[in-house]
Amino acid sequence: MGLLSASDEAVLRQHLAAIDTPVSLLLFTQTIGGSESGPVAKQVLDEIAALNDKITVVEKNFVLDTGDRTTYGVEREPSIVVLRNGEDTRMRFLGAPTGYEFVPLVEAVLLAGTGKVELEPESEQKLAAVTTPTNIKVFSTPT
Amino acid sequence: MAFSNPNITATSIEATELMDLSRRFRVTGVPKTVVNDSIEIVGALPEPDFIEMALQSPDGPKG
Repeated sequence: MGLLSASDEAVLRQHLAAIDTPVSLLLFTQTIGGSESGPVAKQVLDEIAALNDKITVVEKNFVLDTGDRTTYGVEREPSIVVLRNGEDTRMRFLGAPTGYEFVPLVEAVLLAGTGKVELEPESEQKLAAVTTPTNIKVFSTPT
Repeated sequence: MAFSNPNITATSIEATELMDLSRRFRVTGVPKTVVNDSIEIVGALPEPDFIEMALQSPDGPKG
């Protein structure tokens, strides 16, 4: 049984129709001894990917894919790394992206797939001035 | 923000699932934003205010 209703799918399909660049969602999970939310995260990503043929889900093994873990700085699972045309967008999701995390995930996919940043020009100017590594963590909950 | 600047990484964290991180960063309400493990922003702010708070120096305003 899908997580999205038919009407939700229709709305999302239309919302994601603007994507013109391939988006890869790298999903790091651990099958044995890992988080129970790994399969949930996969289902969420699969349902999003089914809405646009430019979105693909690439499964990574949290234990075995050490090279990719190092490349993308993945330390927890399930983790989602968003790539735009194979390049890291530096957008990450930890835990199954359900509930309130779902919309930010969809927007991250849309951003990666269109490249259209919807920030105020003044905000973009301030962001452009950041020259040191900056990590932003945003905590949310499913409900 | 992360998309706009290669120096920035943004991570969305499911607070009830990653309880150790929630405890570490004293997450008692969401959304909560933590920048460089030091600057904390609780709740949702208008974009200009959020950007200003997120990019402030952890040592506080200078001058």
